Amino acid sequence: MNRFSLISAFLAWVLALALCAAPAMAAKTIKVGIVDCYSGPPSTYTNDVRDAFKLEIDKVNAAGGVLGRKIEFVTRDSKFKVDLGLSAAKELVMREEVDILMGTINSALALAISDLARKERIPFLATFAKSAKITGEAGHRYVFSITENTALAGKAGAVGLAKMPFVKYWIAGDDYEYGHAIADGVWENLRTLRPDVELLGQSWWKVGEPDFTPYITAMLSANPDAVIVATGGRDCVPFLKAAKATGFNERVPFYMHTATELSTLKPLGLDAPEGVLGTSNYFFYYPNSKANRQFVKEFQDAYGRYPAVGAVYGLLAAKYITGAYQKAGKVHTEKFIDAMEGMTVDSPVGPVTMRAYDHQAMLPMFMGKTKKAEGYDFLIATDIVTLEPEEVAPSIEEIRKARMK
Amino acid sequence: MDFASNITAAALFQQVLVGLSRTTILFIVSSGLSLVLGVLRIPNVAHGSLYMIGAFLTYTIAAAVGPGAFGFWIALVLAPLGVALLSFAAERGLFCHLYEREHLMLLLFTFSMTLVFNDLVKLIWGSDYRSFTAPGFLQGSFDVFGLPFPRYNLFLLLIGPLVAFGLWFLTNRTKIGKIARAAAVDREMVGAVGINVSWIFAATFVIGCYLAGLGGALVAPTQNITQGMDHTIIIEAFLIVIIGGLGNIWGALLGALIFGLTDSLGILIWPQFAIVFPYVAVVIVLLFRPKGLLKSTW
Amino acid sequence: MIRALFSAKTLLVAALLLAALILAPQVLPRFYIYLMALVFVTGLLATSLNMVLGFGGMYQFHHAVFYGFGAYALTLLLTKAGMPPVFAYLLAPCCSAALGLLLGLITVRLTKLYFGMLQISLGSLVWALAYRWYSFTGGDDGIHGIPLPDVVYSSTGAYYFSLAVCSVSLLVMYLIVNSPFGRIFQGIRDNPERCRAVGVDVHRHQLAGQAIAAFFAGVAGTLFVTVEGSVFPELMFWTLSLELIIMCLLGGWFVFLGPMLGAAIIVVLRTFVGIYTEYWTLVLGVVLMLLIFFLPEGVLGFALRKAGPAQADPAKE
Repeated sequence: MNRFSLISAFLAWVLALALCAAPAMAAKTIKVGIVDCYSGPPSTYTNDVRDAFKLEIDKVNAAGGVLGRKIEFVTRDSKFKVDLGLSAAKELVMREEVDILMGTINSALALAISDLARKERIPFLATFAKSAKITGEAGHRYVFSITENTALAGKAGAVGLAKMPFVKYWIAGDDYEYGHAIADGVWENLRTLRPDVELLGQSWWKVGEPDFTPYITAMLSANPDAVIVATGGRDCVPFLKAAKATGFNERVPFYMHTATELSTLKPLGLDAPEGVLGTSNYFFYYPNSKANRQFVKEFQDAYGRYPAVGAVYGLLAAKYITGAYQKAGKVHTEKFIDAMEGMTVDSPVGPVTMRAYDHQAMLPMFMGKTKKAEGYDFLIATDIVTLEPEEVAPSIEEIRKARMK
Repeated sequence: MDFASNITAAALFQQVLVGLSRTTILFIVSSGLSLVLGVLRIPNVAHGSLYMIGAFLTYTIAAAVGPGAFGFWIALVLAPLGVALLSFAAERGLFCHLYEREHLMLLLFTFSMTLVFNDLVKLIWGSDYRSFTAPGFLQGSFDVFGLPFPRYNLFLLLIGPLVAFGLWFLTNRTKIGKIARAAAVDREMVGAVGINVSWIFAATFVIGCYLAGLGGALVAPTQNITQGMDHTIIIEAFLIVIIGGLGNIWGALLGALIFGLTDSLGILIWPQFAIVFPYVAVVIVLLFRPKGLLKSTW
Repeated sequence: MIRALFSAKTLLVAALLLAALILAPQVLPRFYIYLMALVFVTGLLATSLNMVLGFGGMYQFHHAVFYGFGAYALTLLLTKAGMPPVFAYLLAPCCSAALGLLLGLITVRLTKLYFGMLQISLGSLVWALAYRWYSFTGGDDGIHGIPLPDVVYSSTGAYYFSLAVCSVSLLVMYLIVNSPFGRIFQGIRDNPERCRAVGVDVHRHQLAGQAIAAFFAGVAGTLFVTVEGSVFPELMFWTLSLELIIMCLLGGWFVFLGPMLGAAIIVVLRTFVGIYTEYWTLVLGVVLMLLIFFLPEGVLGFALRKAGPAQADPAKE
């Protein structure tokens, strides 16, 4: 009897949940649905996207919203699982009836949602997934990318490295799509820019590799001039630790795309290795412009921490959405997309244009070197070189070719 | 690709050394798993989560005590004890009522603990990456035949045999160890001679989980302490226990050696596909000795 | 044969239920139709697992690998081989069955935990293959926008297709479980030694069970592709396999339809709890703990025992 009531209570609870969850019919809002991974290691990046997005949306709403409507948004945690995320995206589209989808740091999920967006004719703004396929070969009218991707990062790394005297390279990285795409991007562009470079060998490790020392010592025994490290996310931290412990950075210069990012350098404190080359879309201390200082202050006041690169993606998403509706003059998907194409918005990194052809936001890249600096209890990037988007983004011709395939 | 172009005696020696220090961690974690598996018959999937909690606790304690060697040592002692305490609570509160159940139920129960632990870690420590450093004298590296060998890895190389000796002493020289070994073979008999098996089980479980916490504490200075740390280690630890022989601590040592060394040597010999070496080793071992290399306790 | 296995009452209930499910898309909003299709897919998968787990007593720890393999097989047959959909849909589950046979040949020599762990290691190798073979399987990015036949392209089409395939598969599996083969299979679960003594080839039966279960997991895989239009390596990841075991446990693994109910509860809970909180896994963990403590025979097993002890199979180790 006891158990029976337990089950009844349980079933009643499930039913109640299902019923309460009927979408609240809020009149006349613009609804944005965010699917992203808010659990596990990636959440250190995705929280910034959401928080900065919220900050900007709150400002817009306080000023009366867009076209007389408030913007509201709902989030769903994908737990870095494609099936969960895709279900959640469908739930947002079919049940919550959102006007716009955005999010995901997971490339596979971004591609899956992008396909859903194409079928459902709902705009999808990819905010952190780095796969170049999203706006490349798998691009279509309803998908936009407001983050750098592997093609951009690869080319940026190559442009930076081509200016260095290194000839003999070693490539190492995370053994998954992202790592290989970054490495290939850097290497192919580098070979075009500097035909004399030579590849000594490659090492690939699994995502979440616990100990990089054996990889580093193996690379050292090959004696390269420089190493291209194509690792991202949480593996950056232990790699830099192992590099510091073995003195790798003093023996061989290395380039690691996300080495200079705040999420990587902050946890390491002053123990991060110096002189590591890295690229990023954004630093809270660079560019040292009024817009950036203003943004950093607002973000800090709201959340009590420095904004990392994800914050710029979140801010840009909010600005694009409000700007495009404003420009379209009414809440209409096709008009929204027409307005998005070619639109330029202001941001802490300067004006950013949404390229009309492939729906890729043309973000500048900053290449710098890690260094200790006064006033910070962690390393920052110095000697920053700005790589303009026109210089590093794949050309429209290249995109067209990729889509023909 | 120039295959194996950079293999020199110095490099080989270096990889063996580095592989051995990796073996230490693998041994510590998987021997705990093996102990619990052998005596209690619990395939403890939550072992990886306890390892992760050990690392997080180390970070928190070291940060609370303050920088320097003192904080490190305190954390190294306290964090595994914290994990042991947690596991003690779990054993007395939950597990001890379930020993009669099937293995599959126990496995699922530990899996549900993993789910709870992982979300608790997220609740308590949030999503930021955490990192802390070993005290000064364990930082940096020294040269072995011209290649750098991190001091911390040397420290691990010293800890490994110490833990192995401790385990040997515990299982062979102490009364509780002897009873636990007997209980692993025939728990009814041990109960019949008037020994409280329940408390032996509790002690074994706590020691096993302590080892998970110790592993987590020891890797903390070299790692990014973050959610998801548990995923890789748990699969590796299970594979090691399987190839070593379920419940056999020396099997865990042998398995860890095979795993650690194929890993580090694979990285030197064929870096592009190094990832698969340990797994291939596991499959080969199991094809020829499906029940593991050493005699299992069940 | 069918009449012998089902009472008139059962047949009536089944017919009514089927009629309700057929009419559902006329009444329910689109999202619930999608969710129900997802329940069919997951439920079929869990039921196929339960054939070997609950009825065969084999520690099938990595069942998801056959599911993902079927999904990949269908996708690759459609995209790379350009095969007509009808053949691709028929061939894909056979690929899974072949994989089941192959892995089974290696694993059935072992029992219980050894069997399960070896299956996890071998299954992880298959997973790694899909995860790494970028040019063929799309690597960890997966394959999206799979060209499906027009009939199943819409969510209603996919719903009806998965309803039909799922019903037929369940019926076939039920017949297998109640066939002489199924009886022997359950006999092996309860007492392998005795079965061996009376001259049953235990390994061969277990191998056949593996292949059948893998086949239906493959069917579920093709349905997943139909409903979602995507494949990705996670479909073969070991954590999914553990979740499937939870579904079997939750519904009750000594009852044929238990896993179906378990899958339904998990899929629905996951969707709606996910709306309110990021801590869905915490909820799942606690629910699972309570279940193991208070309801080890599962929801359906419990309900049937309450309804009448005769119906539930009390066989338990």
